[in-house]
Amino acid sequence: MKNCERFAKTTSLSKATSLEDISPKVKLERIMHIIFLCSGFICVVAVVLISLYMVISGLPVIREVGLKNFLFGTVWDPLNSTYGILPFVLSSLLATGCAVLVGGLFGLAVSVYLVFLAGQRVASMLRSLVQLLAGIPSVVYGLLGAMLIVPLVFRIQTFFGLPTSGSLLAAIFVLVIMILPTIISVSENALRAVPKQYMDGSYALGASKIQTILKVMIPSAKSGIASGLVLGVGRAIGETMAVMMVAGNASLLPELLKPARLLTVGISIEWAYSSGLHRQALQGIGLVLFVFIMLINVVLHRMLRRGGESGEK
Amino acid sequence: MKKGILIVLGLVLLVLLAFTFASKNKPTALTGVVKTGGSTSVEKVMNSLIYQFQLYNRDVRIDYEMNGSGDGIKSTLSGLYEIGHSSRDLKTDGSESGLKAIPYAIDGIAIVVNKDNPVENLTKEELFGIYTGKITNWSDVGGKDALITVVSREQGSGTRSAFSETVGLDLKERPETAQVTSATITDSTGAVQTTVMQNPNAIGYMSFSDVDRDKVKTVSYNGVEISEETLRSDTYKLKRTFLMVVKEGAELSGSAQAFLDFVLSDEGQKIVAANNLIPVK
Repeated sequence: MKNCERFAKTTSLSKATSLEDISPKVKLERIMHIIFLCSGFICVVAVVLISLYMVISGLPVIREVGLKNFLFGTVWDPLNSTYGILPFVLSSLLATGCAVLVGGLFGLAVSVYLVFLAGQRVASMLRSLVQLLAGIPSVVYGLLGAMLIVPLVFRIQTFFGLPTSGSLLAAIFVLVIMILPTIISVSENALRAVPKQYMDGSYALGASKIQTILKVMIPSAKSGIASGLVLGVGRAIGETMAVMMVAGNASLLPELLKPARLLTVGISIEWAYSSGLHRQALQGIGLVLFVFIMLINVVLHRMLRRGGESGEK
Repeated sequence: MKKGILIVLGLVLLVLLAFTFASKNKPTALTGVVKTGGSTSVEKVMNSLIYQFQLYNRDVRIDYEMNGSGDGIKSTLSGLYEIGHSSRDLKTDGSESGLKAIPYAIDGIAIVVNKDNPVENLTKEELFGIYTGKITNWSDVGGKDALITVVSREQGSGTRSAFSETVGLDLKERPETAQVTSATITDSTGAVQTTVMQNPNAIGYMSFSDVDRDKVKTVSYNGVEISEETLRSDTYKLKRTFLMVVKEGAELSGSAQAFLDFVLSDEGQKIVAANNLIPVK
């Protein structure tokens, strides 16, 4: 707001002087100022409009079905107008939680190796490979998952006497690989940002390298690592294509070795042929997903701010 | 030499003349907008039919709103559409009387299993059992001892509703006919095929026009193998007919009538065949 007022003042001042008096340099300044202001403004408007749209399109079904029935109903059956999304919510939470847990541990291990243990050449090679991993489109992950991971899970399912199909486990596998690059690069930066004196101090006290890493470096970088995990959660919960190709997509309450439908998939798989209340229900899922993402952003924001404060002290 | 050139020139002239006369015979006086709408399953074939028809009748616009067979039929009854599109038969319970259904294409629904699956035939009852989750092992229907992986389509899909209607599944307010909830759900015909190809114990159903026999095996339904002949002779029952629906006794506009005639003409039926459907003529 303050910026806006200041800008309004400068423009009103500029009106007082005639255009010829302004040097081209100042003119350019003003034009660029307006361009930047507009870009920022458009961005804000887009966010506000999207939020408004999500709420407006998502609310009718909640009014129709009732918030409790919608969020905690266990049966999703559009044919009989039963819209309960608990299976989707739980599947999404379970898949994301497991993926971030596994991916977080693994990613942290990789970043420790990159920062403290790997030689310079190996580290730079590994780093560019990880970056490559981040650039692969999600449909390719889905394809690989469907061809490599799903048949692997078939064997586990046969072992336990279950029908072979796409499963929550396969989805978790794929998500782990997909969120690795985010977690690795963010926690690598966090580990690098820890002052070198910490390490020297630890060595001086007689700690070994691994002791130093586990007891000093990782705890000092924990807020950075945590924000990497939260970013991973954001990526995992929003993933659609790759998950749809491996998860089997049945609307069951989540079990590792059975097919499961995640929130995102719930929307996209039925969108094309839906109409009326059914479509509104899908938009309602969108709203739930939107709220999840918002929560994640708030958490991330807090974490970063806290990290920043502790860094300044 | 000269003679040859002359003959060729003459032929070209003749052909050109023929074309000009032919195009003069085409009805070009038609104008206006024809409102149609309904089934989403017929999108591909309907769009090519409309495209070709509008090439001949540049002043006619055929609107086609895709909102499902139910809406198409309802809106034709209410007079909103001159022609409704449906990928299911009209209901006989009286709610959809006063309409005339004009079939123009047939789409078979193939039962597909993995290529390594020895099962050759399934009856309606067996399919019903498999899709409601009462039959869970292939050995119960003459296969090897392995659990069946049921592959289905998402709710709302035209293929699913046609399949369910024929086999007696997914009836409203009758939970014992509901499809088993643990079925793997895919969102397209191609995805059904890929899933069945990769899973040795899977069974699925899909549009016959898209079946690739290098990837999956089709299973007979009630003892009848699916083919163009059995579909046309009505011996293979697992199929759906694409219909155009008009109000009984109502006078159609010239453009609408011309479009109906075009779809049923030789050229229209060729377009139907080019879209991998069985023409009715």
